[in-house]
Amino acid sequence: MTDTHLPVTDITTTDLRRTPFHRLLCVEARKLVDTRCGSIVASILLVLVLASIVSRGVVFGPDLHTLVGTAGIGYGTLLPVLGILSVTGEWVHRTALTTYALEPHRWRVPAARCLLSLIVAVAASLFALLVAVPVTGVVANVRNVPATWEITPFMLAGWTGTNVLLVVAGLALGMLLLNAPAAIVIWLSAPVLWSVVKRLGAGGEVAAEWLDLNSTTSPLAAGDMTGGDAARLAVSTIFWIVVPLTVGALRVIRKDVN
Amino acid sequence: MIEFSHVSKVYRNVKALDDVSFTVEAGSITGFVGPNGAGKSTALRILVGLARPTTGTATVLGRPYTELGCPGLQVGTLLDAGAQHPGRTGREVLTLGAMMLGLPKSRVDEILDLVGLSGGESRRAVGGYSLGMRQRLGVGHALLGRPRVLVLDEPANGLDPQGIQWMRGLLRDLADLGSTVLLSTHLLHEVEQVADHIVMIGRGRVLARGTVGELGRGRSLEQTFLELTADADRSAA
Ligand SMILES: Nc1ncnc2c1ncn2[C@@H]1O[C@H](COP(=O)(O)OP(=O)(O)OP(=O)(O)O)[C@@H](O)[C@H]1O
Ligand SMILES: [Mg+2]
Repeated sequence: MTDTHLPVTDITTTDLRRTPFHRLLCVEARKLVDTRCGSIVASILLVLVLASIVSRGVVFGPDLHTLVGTAGIGYGTLLPVLGILSVTGEWVHRTALTTYALEPHRWRVPAARCLLSLIVAVAASLFALLVAVPVTGVVANVRNVPATWEITPFMLAGWTGTNVLLVVAGLALGMLLLNAPAAIVIWLSAPVLWSVVKRLGAGGEVAAEWLDLNSTTSPLAAGDMTGGDAARLAVSTIFWIVVPLTVGALRVIRKDVN
Repeated sequence: MIEFSHVSKVYRNVKALDDVSFTVEAGSITGFVGPNGAGKSTALRILVGLARPTTGTATVLGRPYTELGCPGLQVGTLLDAGAQHPGRTGREVLTLGAMMLGLPKSRVDEILDLVGLSGGESRRAVGGYSLGMRQRLGVGHALLGRPRVLVLDEPANGLDPQGIQWMRGLLRDLADLGSTVLLSTHLLHEVEQVADHIVMIGRGRVLARGTVGELGRGRSLEQTFLELTADADRSAA
């Protein structure tokens, strides 16, 4: 036994300092991709974004706005799945025992995950822009047609905001259900479900109009929100994000971890 | 150092712990023994704030665990060696722990060395580990932050004779260096050899506590244990 394993001496006030929040954030970020499953989903997403932007550019022509938006399809589906897997995995594999033994102020863990989802969605949106710009340029050059660079900061911000909302909604669903298959199935089949609901008469149509996050975020993504759009977006955000996130976080905070 | 004071825990209709009180002194190894379902794991989870007692309080280092700030630097815990994501490597599990505690990456190699996991093994997914390897990893994880208190739930479970001997030596060394260890186990012969103090529980109640010598009363610990737990069962029936 060497002294590197010696316990430190008396308890001091520095010992009582909480784990800095940025550390929690880094740990949660790493946990997103450090398992086999997580790294596979992340690489598929990366390849999908690259491939879809390039192929859309080839087929559709050099229009920056369209090319950036192409990445949103992958971001709206697979990024939330990554979030779902990371929160539900904690309870399935019972690593929550370690997570909450090391951070007994449990609310900080879901808080870190929410902030992380936001950062990841923003970074992913910038990444899409970073890929779309050269693809637009190259396609215009090769085809010898003028490129359309038109994209307002407002549009870009709206589209990024949409990605953030969708990723956080996925996380919220995972936290609410704590069951990966159920959360993923609901998330991926939601667009189909809403199109069915829409056909269920006037009531269904109103419900879909106000609650289907994919359609309420589309004015935001397109960058042309009206007052009515904003109200619908707010209602669907409360339904998909605020409520499940609150219920899920409260349960995680109160629950006995076994 | 560790203090349980009138701790009870009721799950719906099961009384998992019933007015449990005992203390664990600094620099000693205390074996927490009891039959299946006695409430050992429940007590340890309450101690580290993962479960809430119905009544009573548990403290470590003089305060509730949840008030320790960055508790991994004071108290090392291993509650269930099987509770690992199967798709994460052993090295990654330790790396996450080291990051969380703000320790340098070199600490991961030190720990791998200490618990006897080779470089190759540490790069394999935990899903492919044997129970003994998981226990080593779990004990290593508990030791990352050089804690002065160790709380281990059945750390010897699944270890081969060499592994058990290794664990015994490790815990003894740590206690000699001033650490306090509370470990639960079923292995009475083992605990007799490593522990200074014993706390026996059955059906959620403390049945006996004292030094190994006091409880053995010249016989084996096992005989005392079987007698006491049989008594507890009779009085409960
Ligand atoms: N989450 C729970 N919900 C309901 N009952 C529980 C829960 N956890 C434990 N119990 C019950 O509490 C009692 C004590 O269980 P505990 O796991 O603490 O025993 P143990 O001494 O660790 O047993 P073992 O030696 O088998 O690990 C058991 O009757 C068990 O069924
Ligand atoms: Mg147990």
